[in-house]
Formats: sequence, structure tokens, C-alpha cells
Amino acid sequence: MTVTLSASVPTARTRRRSPVNRSRVAAWIAVVVIGLFGLAPIYWLVVTALTPDDRAFSFPPSLIPTEITFEHFTRLAENRQLFQYLANSVIVSVITAILSVIVSAYMAYAFSKFRYRGRKSLMHLVLASQLFPQALLLVTLYALFSATGLLGSYTALILSFTTFTLPLCVWMLKGIFDTVPSTLMEAAAIDGASRWRTLHTIALPLAAPGLIAAGLFAFVRAWNDFVFALTLADPARQTLPPGLVHTYLGEFQTAWPDLMAASFVVSLPVIAAFMFLQRYLVGGLTAGAVKG
Amino acid sequence: MNTLNRRDALRLLGLSTLGVTALAACAPDASGGAPQGDTAAKSFGFTSWSLNEEAQKAAVQAIVDGYAGSNGVKITTASFPYNEYLNQVTLKLRGGQLTGAIQLDVAWLGALAAMGRLRDLATPAAKGGYTDVALSSGQTGGKQLGLPWTTGSIGLIANTGLLEKAGVDGMPATVAEFEAALRKVAALDGVIPYAAATKAAQLKDILPWMRTFGSPLLAEDQITVGDDPSVAAVEWYKKLYDAKLIAPDVDRFDARALFAQGKAAFYDDAIIARGVVESQAPDKSLTAKMAPLSRPVLKAGDSPQALLWGHVIAVVEGEGADAAAAFAAHATSDTATVATFFEKVKLPPTTAAGLADPKVSGDAFTTEWTEKITKTATANPFWRYAGYAQIETAIAEQVQAVLVGDSSAKEALAKATETAKGLQK
Repeated sequence: MTVTLSASVPTARTRRRSPVNRSRVAAWIAVVVIGLFGLAPIYWLVVTALTPDDRAFSFPPSLIPTEITFEHFTRLAENRQLFQYLANSVIVSVITAILSVIVSAYMAYAFSKFRYRGRKSLMHLVLASQLFPQALLLVTLYALFSATGLLGSYTALILSFTTFTLPLCVWMLKGIFDTVPSTLMEAAAIDGASRWRTLHTIALPLAAPGLIAAGLFAFVRAWNDFVFALTLADPARQTLPPGLVHTYLGEFQTAWPDLMAASFVVSLPVIAAFMFLQRYLVGGLTAGAVKG
Repeated sequence: MNTLNRRDALRLLGLSTLGVTALAACAPDASGGAPQGDTAAKSFGFTSWSLNEEAQKAAVQAIVDGYAGSNGVKITTASFPYNEYLNQVTLKLRGGQLTGAIQLDVAWLGALAAMGRLRDLATPAAKGGYTDVALSSGQTGGKQLGLPWTTGSIGLIANTGLLEKAGVDGMPATVAEFEAALRKVAALDGVIPYAAATKAAQLKDILPWMRTFGSPLLAEDQITVGDDPSVAAVEWYKKLYDAKLIAPDVDRFDARALFAQGKAAFYDDAIIARGVVESQAPDKSLTAKMAPLSRPVLKAGDSPQALLWGHVIAVVEGEGADAAAAFAAHATSDTATVATFFEKVKLPPTTAAGLADPKVSGDAFTTEWTEKITKTATANPFWRYAGYAQIETAIAEQVQAVLVGDSSAKEALAKATETAKGLQK
């Protein structure tokens, strides 16, 4: 009996552990597969950027480069036009982010903390603007900016990008302001703070992670846009996405290794910004998701 | 619960005004922005995708600078990427933002002509000494809406080294000889005999084969795709596919890569193929083995089919149109200019004098290409419709359905024609 009992205990333990191990292995496999899915294009981008032109089109393609060159990065460093595109991207994206955060913060606060007739309708109207395909608005915006003399300017790009980012930023920040207890505002009012001061010294600091998340979202939206940047800005004010296409994608062939080198380099500032601010981004995106 | 008082509302209004003022400061000055037309008679814009393409921009800019300098005119240049060019030009032309001369692909002329903003250039065309085939590339709706800048064709190119290795004697002249040559090449290890387009995005390459089999594609305004010759062409293509004489999932990009690696004996491309293959080929002697050949015909005596390809310069009616037309005529027909341009970019000129210039006629590949392929090249008849690209796509998608075995050639082409009919506008 004893023997049977003592033998049965480890068996039960093994049975209990086995599903745990299996699920852990399955989780790791899933992580590796998803990781590969996400990282493989980046790996391929780097490999192509380091491959000499006449090896870049080898068939079948080689996963591990047999020959490495830095000539594409050297050529990139010598291309002053690309740095102009980069400067344009920074100008447009930073101003778009700042403007989006300022406007959406006030809008969101007004939606969250004030009660007035038409509030809900306005909120849904803001969201409804997201339902239109943005390409549909291109022709209208083009005509509008042309009539106002803004076509070709940074302003045209900044206004259009801000228009597209506002709805999501407003709703994101409204959720965050909803989590700020109204009793805090009432306490501030009792202490003699004006509404203006209450907003700036109490509500906005509490919503800082959300403001950063909204700013990052607007920044990335402006940084990545292609069609609007190509159509609304003149050549001297075009941003990186149309600039890269213009420089490397031609009628007859595409300079893939150069394009990959440029894509890698220009993505570094965004990667750095994300690494630095990602904790705010995650916190900001989820802050308004659950009401306590 | 909070309410906005008048003071808060005024503060918000003040902030908004400040923001708008700051943005307005970023607006361009009067001289910036897209070409706005001109105020003087000798000022105009020139829009060209080549102005920003690495291989051509220096040569095109030299033409612009040379003409502006010697004629005392001011040329404002603008450029858009080739793949977005038609959309951008259409939008800007519709918005009145585009004036002067514009470089166009011959395939786009019909779509832009429909907007009614392009000038008829019959007079400068008559004086330019252009070849007939070149002139035809700039015509649409009975008008000469573009002056031909370069005229070439999409035709077949062979790797003579591989053909020799496979024991193919001479270039195949008929479809039967071509198929026999492909079967010999198939015996070589790791070589695709014919890197024909099989991806939907590039399957419009089958249209010249349909013509080879006798289909006109379009008779008057009646689409004839689906007639017996076009069905026979697709069935033949399918036969090559099943026999692995052509490979699945190949577009122009793949075909060039395969050819450049010495892994395809034939493929379809434009005359610029030589430069592209040269830049991609590890074997630098490959270009010497490249030979253009007339597309094989169904029976001896038939005319070889090839798709006309090229660039034209059109002129937008309005301010500066006269000066822009004079520039377009100079850029496309001045013999010294076009010969120098050819020397730099290897795009063949469009005038008889330009083709006869030693700089051009001394280039054996170009001469051979012009003689064997461009001479009998014809425009895609669907280019006259603004929706030509969708028509080509409708046909290509159905041909692909045949290749993968989802449909018979007759059924697929009938379906394609039905779709295409709705796009004839």
C-alpha cells in the first residue's frame, strides 16, 4: 500500500506539472513566432541595407549576407536633400503633436467636466469624422488650402494632420479626465482656485501620461503620412515618406539597398522616442480604459 | 458640474487665435509653393518625374538650364514620384495649379486629355521631324497632345549565352519555334525558360500575345477580348505554365532579377532593360549576351507585336503655354540636345535626325531594338479610356484565374470583358 501510495504522489505531481510546462512551451513558441513575424522585416531591412547592389537581387535570396558594405550609408550621409526631408518631418510632426495635445486637452476637458446642451452630440460628431476615409478628404482639403493660399506650406500639412489626429486624441484624453475625481476640482474651487487654474495646475498634471500618449500618437501619424504630405506640401517642404519614395523609387527600378539604409536611419529617432516614452504611452492609453 | 463662463470662453478664444496666428506664420511666401503659372510671357513651369530620378535628373536638368540660359526664360520645375505622378498631375491640373510643360507617360495621355486642358501641338509636331511611330505615341482623339520625347517599346529580350548552351540555333521567329526553344532551355538546370509575367499586377503583358494570335483587343469601341484568338492565346500561355516553361508569381521586378542572375532565357522589358540588368547582374559580361528579338508571330508573314512605350511632353493651355510649347519642341527635337540626352540616359530619341546621329546610331543595342521591336510597336488600345488601368487589371485577374486552374480561358475572358465594358469611359 505504502509503495503504491508513495508511487502515486509523484505521478500526480507529474500530471499537475505537465500541462503547466506544455502551456509555457506553447506560450514561448507563440512569443517566438510573433517575435519573428515582427522582427523579420527589420532584420531583412538591415541585411538589404548592408548588401552590395549586385548581390541584393540574388535569387534565391540569402538570409545571411555573404558580403557586407556600408556604401549605402555613406551615400545617405552625402545626400543633403534627405536631411531637408528629415528636418521637414521633425518640424511638421512636432508642431502637429503639440497642437493636437493642446486642442484635444481643452476639448476633452470640456467634454469630461462640463455639462451643456449638445455635449453628447458634439462628442459623437467628433468621432464620426473618423468614419470618412481620409483619401476622400484629400481633394476637398486640396481645394480648401488652394483657395486660402496655404497649399504647399507647412501649415497645410500641420492643419490636416491635426484634423485627423484630434478625434482619437480627444476621446483618449476624455477617458483620462473622467478618471480624475471631480471632488479634487471642487476642493480646489473651495480653496479659491479659478477654473482656469484648476485645469492647469490640477487636471493637466494628473493627465500627463495621457497627454504624452496623445502627443506620440499625433507625432507618429504625422511622421508616417505619405499621400497628404506628397499632395499638400511643395517639394521644398515635403516630409520623409514622400521624400524617400521620390529619391529611391523610380520609373524603371528601385534602389532597394539605399532605401533600406535610409529607412533604417530615419526610423532611429522614432525608435528612440518610443523607448524613452513607451511607459507613458502604455500608461496613457490604458489610463482611461477602466473607471474606478 | 461645471459651466463655462464668459471669461473662460474668451480665454479659449484668445488661445485659439494665438494658435492660428502661429500656424499662419509657417505659411509660404508668395514665391514658394507649387508652380503658379507666370506673369511674364517667358516664364513657365516644367513638371517631370525624371527631374528627381537618380539616373536621369542631371541630364534633364541640363536641358532645362541650357534652354533657360540661351533663351532668357525662367523655368520653374516640379517633380513627383513616378508611381504617384498621374494622381498628382490630375489633381493639380484640375485645381488649376499646374501650368506649362509636363512630362507624361504615353499611357496617361488619354486620361489627361479627357480633362480638356492640354494644347494641341500639331504645328510644332509637323516641324519637328519626328518618326511616324513616335508621333503616334503623342496622339489621342485625333489631336497631337504630346510631343514625343522618347519612344521605345516593351519587347522580348533573350540571353544568347543560355540559348547557345541549350542548343537553340538562331532566334525563334514563330510561336511554334519559340515554344520549341523554351523546351530546349527547360533542360538546363535551374533556368526558367521564359520569365513571363504571371502576377496579376503585370499580366497585362499578355495583351501583345493576344494580338499575336489575331485579336485586335478593341474594334471601334467594342472590346474583343474573349474572341477565339484571345482565348487561344490564354490557352497557350496556360500550356506554357503547366509545362513549367513559365514560372508562377513573376512580375517585371522578379523577371529582371532572374534574368540578371542568368536564370531566365527570355523576358519582357523596355529598352532601358540593359541599364537595369547591368546594375543588378553579378556577371558584368551579361549585357553583351542580351539580344532584343521580334516577338514571334503565329505564322510567317505576320507583323510582330510589341507594346509602344515612351514619354511625351504635353503643354497646359493658359499662361506661358507658347513658351512651354517652344521648350517642349526644343527638348524633343533639337538634334544636339536629344543626342546628348541619349548619350547620358540611353533613352532613344524620336526624330529621324536624332536616330541618325552617330551617338545614337553607333549604339548597336538601341539600333537593333528600334529595328526589331519599336518599328512595329503599337499603343495599347485601352489607353484612350481614363479607366484603362482598371480594364487591364480586369483582364489580368481573369487570366491569372485561368493560370491557377480556377476558370477556363473562354469563361474567364468573357467575365473580364463584362467588367471592362463598364470601365469604357
